[in-house]
Amino acid sequence: MAKLEFGRRLRQLWWRPSVADEVEAEVQFHLDMRIKELIARGLSPDAARAEAMARLGDGEAFRATLRRLGRERNTMRERHEWLAEFGQDVRYAFRSLRQQPGFTLTALATLAIGIGATTAIFSFLYSVVLRPLPIPEADRIVVVGDGNPQGPAWSVSVGNYIDYARETRVFERLGATHFANFNLNVDASPERVPGARADAAYFEVFRIPPAIGRTFSVEEDRPGANRVALLSDGLWRRRFGADAGVVGRTITIDGTAHQIIGVMPPTFSLGGEELWVPAAFTPQQQAKHDEHFLEVYGRLKSGVTVRQALADQDRIARQLATAFPLDNHGLTGAVEPLFAQYVGNAPERLGVLFGSVLVVLLIACVNVANLLLARGAARERELAVRAALGAGRRRIVRQLITENLVLALGAGILGIGLAWVAIKAMLVTAPRNLPRLDQAGLDGWVLAFAVAVSLGSVLVFGLMPAIRSTAGDLARTLREGAKGSSAAVSDWLRRGLVAAEVALALVLLVGAGLLIRTAIHLGRIDPGFRPDGVVTARVGLAQTAYPEWEQVTGAFERLHRELGQIPGVEAAGLSSQVPLGPGGGTNGLIREGMALAPENAIGSRLRLVTPGYLGTMRIPIVRGRDFTDEDRRGTTRVMIVSKGLAERAWPGQDPIGKRMACCEGTETDPMWKEVIGVAGDVRSGGIDQEAVPEFYLPVAQAPAEAWNWIQRTMTLAVRGRESAALTAGVRAAVRTVDPAVPVYGVATMGERIAQSMAQGRFNTRLLTTLGAVGLLLAAIGIYGVIGYFVARQRRELGIRVALGASAGRIRGLVLRQGLVPALIGVGVGVPGSLLLARLLGSQLRGVGPGDPVTFVTVALVLVGVAALATLGPARRATRVDPTTAMRDD
Amino acid sequence: MAPQPTELLQGTLDVLILKTLAWAPRHGYGIAKWLEDTTDDALVVEEGSLYPALYRMERKGWIEAEWGMSELGRKAKFYALTSAGRAHLKEEIAAWRRFSVAVTKVLGSNGRV
Repeated sequence: MAKLEFGRRLRQLWWRPSVADEVEAEVQFHLDMRIKELIARGLSPDAARAEAMARLGDGEAFRATLRRLGRERNTMRERHEWLAEFGQDVRYAFRSLRQQPGFTLTALATLAIGIGATTAIFSFLYSVVLRPLPIPEADRIVVVGDGNPQGPAWSVSVGNYIDYARETRVFERLGATHFANFNLNVDASPERVPGARADAAYFEVFRIPPAIGRTFSVEEDRPGANRVALLSDGLWRRRFGADAGVVGRTITIDGTAHQIIGVMPPTFSLGGEELWVPAAFTPQQQAKHDEHFLEVYGRLKSGVTVRQALADQDRIARQLATAFPLDNHGLTGAVEPLFAQYVGNAPERLGVLFGSVLVVLLIACVNVANLLLARGAARERELAVRAALGAGRRRIVRQLITENLVLALGAGILGIGLAWVAIKAMLVTAPRNLPRLDQAGLDGWVLAFAVAVSLGSVLVFGLMPAIRSTAGDLARTLREGAKGSSAAVSDWLRRGLVAAEVALALVLLVGAGLLIRTAIHLGRIDPGFRPDGVVTARVGLAQTAYPEWEQVTGAFERLHRELGQIPGVEAAGLSSQVPLGPGGGTNGLIREGMALAPENAIGSRLRLVTPGYLGTMRIPIVRGRDFTDEDRRGTTRVMIVSKGLAERAWPGQDPIGKRMACCEGTETDPMWKEVIGVAGDVRSGGIDQEAVPEFYLPVAQAPAEAWNWIQRTMTLAVRGRESAALTAGVRAAVRTVDPAVPVYGVATMGERIAQSMAQGRFNTRLLTTLGAVGLLLAAIGIYGVIGYFVARQRRELGIRVALGASAGRIRGLVLRQGLVPALIGVGVGVPGSLLLARLLGSQLRGVGPGDPVTFVTVALVLVGVAALATLGPARRATRVDPTTAMRDD
Repeated sequence: MAPQPTELLQGTLDVLILKTLAWAPRHGYGIAKWLEDTTDDALVVEEGSLYPALYRMERKGWIEAEWGMSELGRKAKFYALTSAGRAHLKEEIAAWRRFSVAVTKVLGSNGRV
């Protein structure tokens, strides 16, 4: 069959008629033969012609049928031939790849690294950023806030929320929630559970029905009637053994009996809530416009855009600012799509990583392109012979592309394997604060992406060499032998590829360098406290058990005393918030002498602390004194301010003895607080965050209302050598005070710092790894190209040696061939790096995006590596023996 | 008077064409002429069925067409059997044998008409 096909194709070279011509010629021949036969039988020529024609029937219909069948036959045949040729190409590709295992393994490994890394990072990007939220019509759900002239803020007061819901023209439904931790008691075992108070409308916004039971009714969302609870899927499985009959059971939440009315599906938990109770706003709460603590979500009416919603919220906000000028000073609308708020800055962070990994892939492709070029030069004679035997240029290009496809898909399969390993490895070290990252894996879209990237890489690395190797002059190639003629032509191409690799590697290394400099800078920063040896834990009191401030204060003071008794403890204290920890809030402070108006307030973070807390954290008191047990209710109200706050409130003056109003009191009695000490600034929001103004009030003098702000929850801190013993001691101390109070959020300060830096470290580590891989690949590429040059120039080098060129001169010649494109690459890479550095901007600390130290260091490293990569080939060049080099061709 | 020419059974034409080409490649007219001569005109192969059958069989890959020189020095389209066609022919002949033996057994039996 193959032989026949070959014969047919040869004959077709002579005459390849169109189907119409073919049919006409065949029919005409048939008629002529028939007429001849009929005449021989004795018919007259005219009669013979008429008879022959008559036997065809309707001549035109007959021809039309044949033409149609002929066309069908041709289509089928072309498809067949294409498939046959493709199969042939694939077989040929496997054979020729097997024949050069060195080339094949290098190319496969290079591409697999590129594809694997790209796929792994894409799986993160897909899981965190690209995957839609598991909420019906998620694009219609927005977050609503109380904005101010400084920008949007996402906490809403109950009063404002109720007015928004009443006045809105753009929302189908507005719902509100606020996070709260609950002391859950099931079968007499207490546990602290993260949860939320939510109103009945909240569940209607998301339209996710409960898996079991129902959500809150409007009646249950009222004060006094709110003794019902909804469980998360996780809590239901963990504490109730996924009991389908759980609805109707009674549990104790913060000391009060609640009835379970439903279980939400696993998809319904934006912030990790495990338990919901009705918000049941009291009439007093509903009248309050100045306490911003609600998270408000809205479902847009169909067809309403976020911009329109913002305009409408602005309208209502202006009315509210007029109606409540003190509480809603400068209030503006704030609306943001839920998705944008949910993923936060993840697109930006992962985007930089994804861009970087694409650069690695590009370097890998350039490397393989280089390998293919070298291989193409060596195969030129083989290709010329094939062309001479009748294979068209297109046919040869197709053959080469098939070869590359086989290579790329092979690398793709290896790359997916690598990606799987990389994802598993990276998830272990990944920061916890990237939403949905833990769900990253190799699912359908990620696999499709890997295949697409593999195929796409062929376009980058394969097409140019394939066209290149068929562009040469056939006859000359055959005449000149294996050396080939287009080898010299494509030298510029090789140098260009080296330059491109260096430029790409520069971009990566500059990014990595800037992040490393940031990490070094952060490592040197004094956070304002000493984290080593400090164990912290959270303790919350239920309102039902500790309704009045005296009881709360008493319990925490008792706990403070117990903590001091723990064996091995060096210092102990409590604070409403420790650095890098949860809790706390901001209050407006007005110094004595200013009008008691909102615009005179300095926003400052409040910490309620016991005496000794500052010493436990080793936060220095730079002036004045710490609180003592004598600072009690009834004595002078005292406060300690941070250095930053002191400088802001009384620049250039001694703050000790000055007074401020805050947190409580009226215009006639602002309840002045006297500054008795100045504490060092603390980077409470994270080592990479600037310190903000903070002030400390003694627990014993805390405003009664403040216990509600912080939900009667404090963080305790103990300093000692043995953190395990301290932890056990802390639990025992809390048990002594009240066995019904759970201890949670136990962490050493070292752990808190590590966690707050995890994201930055993760990015730094990944980008550094990518930079190293890019550098290695670029070095391999340069080595390969220069090695190729030396091999090709053996003869020329031999002549030079014969003419007396010194080894140093030869080395210099080779070195220059590598360094010139490398330097050009550095020149080209600098603008690209500046672009990446600007994208990194928000992640940089203590170093500018155009940091000259990083740029110069990276450029020197690259040029150095390029020089090293040419060293081997250069040494080979000096050892060229002129006689053998000139003899063999 | 010559008996009426027999109508061809469905699919039989294909086998006859394959058989015709078993010896050597022929052009379309040659196939028709050979069939008529061999069967003493007992089979009438109409051009209206012969040529479409040739195109279809070409598509199926049983036969291959090549342009060559006819015995009279004219360019003509010659059909040749492919290996797939030869295999098909063998199968069809065996099937026809089984069929005709069976029919003969029935027709030659002593049962009353």
